[in-house]
Amino acid sequence: MRSLLRAWVALPFSLPVGFNAEEAHNIVKDCVDGVLGGEDYNHNNINQWTASIVEQSLTHLVKLGKAYKYIVTCAVVQKSAYGFHTASSCFWDTTADGTCTVRWENRTMNCVVNVFAIAIVL
Amino acid sequence: MMMSDIAKNPVAHSRKKRGSVSSLSSHEFQRREIHGRTKDSMSTVSYMDEPSQRDDVSRLTVQMENTYQLGPPKHFPVVTVNHILKDVLTNYLQEEEYEPELCRQMTKTITEVIKAQVKDLVIPRYKFIVIVHIGQLNTQSILIASRCLWDPKSDAFSSYVFRNASLFALANVYAVYLE
Repeated sequence: MRSLLRAWVALPFSLPVGFNAEEAHNIVKDCVDGVLGGEDYNHNNINQWTASIVEQSLTHLVKLGKAYKYIVTCAVVQKSAYGFHTASSCFWDTTADGTCTVRWENRTMNCVVNVFAIAIVL
Repeated sequence: MMMSDIAKNPVAHSRKKRGSVSSLSSHEFQRREIHGRTKDSMSTVSYMDEPSQRDDVSRLTVQMENTYQLGPPKHFPVVTVNHILKDVLTNYLQEEEYEPELCRQMTKTITEVIKAQVKDLVIPRYKFIVIVHIGQLNTQSILIASRCLWDPKSDAFSSYVFRNASLFALANVYAVYLE
């Protein structure tokens, strides 16, 4: 009887799945392709483009219906002979939270999109 | 910066696994027109601090009790963090000139330093994300935007831009409350 009870108590609960980075990568890549694909760097439109990339990515990520808070960052640089570095460091729960980075470029510009997903525990 | 809010039902944790993930991927866009060759480089350093041994036992998810708190007892101090960012960037970059190797290392170091200083503030139940961009200052154009889906009552961000003669640096810290 006692050993049966112990077996029942020791039954493991399911572990959290974690962030699906590949899915997010595909979503964001499609968004960027849709907005910037075929365009050349244009100072007048750049504001609008970054806003739509970020907004569309966020909307599609939310449609996945997962319990996450999202932070989406987008940096667009004109292609030039000048250097640019980005780095990020995160303090979070490594099992449940995750990040994904998409680098995209064409002839006239480079684009880096970062997605950070932080789990909400329901 | 634009944020959209979503109301969340707060749930509590009495014990949580904290890990420090430093994904120091430094994306460097640099075209050197020497001999007509272009070169893009990317370096990635990814490491995770291992949780302590006794946490292995708690890897099985356990049901937590409610704290019945509706919001964070101590909010993220945006102004203090602004000062931290300003101090760190100014100290590290005041006299520096833009050099590819130096800045590559510098971005990673600065992210780590900022993260350590923000952690020292000891604000319970907050998770942090630190992002640093460093670029050469010249006539090229760059736009950096971000949008967050979170609860604006408990979550916040802090940002600072530093410029000197040859480079610019942007540091962002996002703080997300653990619900």
